[in-house]
Amino acid sequence: MRLSNFLFEQVAAILRKDFLIGLRRRATFAAMMMFALTAVASLSLSMTGGFVEPKFLAALLWVVIFFAASAGIAGTFDDEAQAGTLPTLKLYAQAQAILFGKMCYVFLSLTMLTLFILPIFLILFNVAVESFLLLSLTILLGLIGIAAAGTLTAAITTSATVKGGLFPILLFPITLPIFLPAITLTELSFTGGAFETSSLIVMAAFDAILILASSILYDYL
Amino acid sequence: MIAFDEVSLSFGRRVLFSNVTLNLRGGKVIGVTGANGAGKSTFLKLAGKVIRPDAGEVRLPDGKTIAALSPEMKVYDTLTARENLSFFAKLRGKSIDLLKLGERVGLDLETFGSVRAENLSTGMRQRLKFAILLSVDADIWLLDEPTANLDDDGREKIFHEVCGAKADKIILLATNDKAEVALCDEIIQLPL
Repeated sequence: MRLSNFLFEQVAAILRKDFLIGLRRRATFAAMMMFALTAVASLSLSMTGGFVEPKFLAALLWVVIFFAASAGIAGTFDDEAQAGTLPTLKLYAQAQAILFGKMCYVFLSLTMLTLFILPIFLILFNVAVESFLLLSLTILLGLIGIAAAGTLTAAITTSATVKGGLFPILLFPITLPIFLPAITLTELSFTGGAFETSSLIVMAAFDAILILASSILYDYL
Repeated sequence: MIAFDEVSLSFGRRVLFSNVTLNLRGGKVIGVTGANGAGKSTFLKLAGKVIRPDAGEVRLPDGKTIAALSPEMKVYDTLTARENLSFFAKLRGKSIDLLKLGERVGLDLETFGSVRAENLSTGMRQRLKFAILLSVDADIWLLDEPTANLDDDGREKIFHEVCGAKADKIILLATNDKAEVALCDEIIQLPL
């Protein structure tokens, strides 16, 4: 119990530290937000007046989130490695605390990104959401999956020489099992179709697998 | 006790250590000296298990914590001196009086506490790094040129802390500085 409290304190300290640095540097947040805004704005302008299938809109939303997330998550560990603080952090914090502290930070960043871009997306594409509960649950589970897979992938690619290109290539296949049900559920939240509990369970199960696998694999990096 | 058991390490054709067996005991300051390139910093990294040997094993006492001070270990530039100290102390679950800790290394946190690390002078940053080392209250100290870039006051303060702490710690000090060498109770001279 004492050990888990200590781990939790370390995770909280790392999350707070990363959030403070993120707010002060702003570059990562700005890159994510600007990518998402540019993509959504340019796509909506190019489709002005035309009918867009809900399925296509749902896929578009997740594509924007994925690539905007890639722009921000890739530097999760690499920024520390470049600044020379990673050895210091690794010396004083438990490996699992570093992983989960970073994962929580990535999740928080993605949540902020989604809260920023989702209303703009819904307005520009004139989407009437039929089930906000389903949309919220889908986005929550989707972001957890991207955060878990993205944090591990960022840790793996830290020592790679072509990390910028490697990161999305590695991340995409890992997160594909999250995206497929996420797109279907997002479409249903737009159209008000029958609630698919099984797809939500699949997403939750895959999130759990990703978190567990990240926890096990990180010790070997 | 840190035990080196037939440890070997090479970088390319350069053999740094070949079948090194030795025991490093606590209660004294153990100096690691040698010419540039002799492997002083590498010796400390092996002792702290930051790097693994090609052969052999380095054994650390169970449950003992490590703190290190080296030019390669940086602080967070965008955090203030106080935030850096507070962060690292929290990582080790220590509740400390930051002002007193700052006084011990000559870092006045009333003045410099709100200054971002990137705006501190090299000497002040070195004091901050030593304050972080003190804040985590570790059992093993690995010090790589700990007084580099410090003025006389800073050097005195660090010497005082090292001498005061050695009784219940294992302290390894990699240096070629005469004053730092004079601080050591035992010297390991590395050949080039």
